Amino acid sequence: MASCVRRALMPIGVNILRQHGIISCLRPRTLPMMCRFASHDAVQTTILKRDDARKEELLQFGNYVAENLPKFVQKVQITDGGELEVLIHPEGVVVTMAFLKDHTNAQFTNISDLCAVDVPSRQYRFEIVYNLLSLRFNTRIRVKTYTDEITPMESICPVFRGADWYEREIWDMFGVFFANHPDLRRILTDYGFEGHPFRKDFPLSGFLELRYDDEEKRILSEPVELAQEFRKFDLRSPWEQFPAFRQEAVEEGEGVEKLESGEEKK
Amino acid sequence: MAARILKASTGLTGLPVSQNPRKMLLHLYGLTFESLEKMPASAAYRKNTEKILKHRVDIVKSTEDIIQIEKKINCGQIEEIIVQAKNELSLARRMLIWQPWEPLLGDAPKDQWKWPI
Repeated sequence: MASCVRRALMPIGVNILRQHGIISCLRPRTLPMMCRFASHDAVQTTILKRDDARKEELLQFGNYVAENLPKFVQKVQITDGGELEVLIHPEGVVVTMAFLKDHTNAQFTNISDLCAVDVPSRQYRFEIVYNLLSLRFNTRIRVKTYTDEITPMESICPVFRGADWYEREIWDMFGVFFANHPDLRRILTDYGFEGHPFRKDFPLSGFLELRYDDEEKRILSEPVELAQEFRKFDLRSPWEQFPAFRQEAVEEGEGVEKLESGEEKK
Repeated sequence: MAARILKASTGLTGLPVSQNPRKMLLHLYGLTFESLEKMPASAAYRKNTEKILKHRVDIVKSTEDIIQIEKKINCGQIEEIIVQAKNELSLARRMLIWQPWEPLLGDAPKDQWKWPI
């Protein structure tokens, strides 16, 4: 920005100085310096701006989705960063995706990402998150739903072919089964791998270790043997670090307000 | 008419120039309306979609000029609008099976959406 202004100001500045006959006493290096001070007001910050009008638009669209799919949409919310989230019942995944992709007012034809979150303390421990992009309307939307280890999710491959590998990734890392998936295999881990590494109860050291054995002249995979027992350290600090995230505050409903600005449909 | 002859390409891969876009569009919208009419009159999806389609049908019927239609609908080239109409038709047909206007299947368990936990 500053350089643009400087480039625009340069010829004007030089002309003025020439007219007044003082250009000869200025060394060329000082001129950009002066211009930089002149354009000081135009300095831009990188802080994300609050765009309330945009937020309102997104919320309206979220409510439009909820109005069209009352059978599946549980909640519509805007995150603190101004992103639209639609929280749905797990049975409505394919319907919601098809609606968002094919409806004329949505046209979210691009599936940018699909991932899972593991929160073991919940009744349904896995949260499945779908991120969609509408190139037509230059908008993004996030659809969230939930499942557990034994409940299969419906695969969205019939709607979005691009979801194929993302769902394999979730199957590999979290062990969420996708029904009607064309080719549900592991995708990231090695052949013969056991377990799902992104689950919170998966040990950091894994279950198997691989090593090359000189006598056998091949790679052996053996169960991990730790040199010492696993020890649990108390790493908590005696000071309170995030008073805003205190449990009581969340239960009273204040913390939620602050976190996700709590605009809800229902 | 002249615009149709002059147009050599849509500039989009895999999307050929449509030879008779108005007829095509009206046909697709007609089929979609047929599907929508099978839905209950109170369904929000039916109401919203009918509103959108009626708006587009009026524009398509109002003029012969493709460029004018594109400008008035303001949602891309006429070929893209045909793709949108096809998508909406297939969606309407699938919606008849899914019946999304029924009441909510069930709320999430308490604290399912609470974060941080």
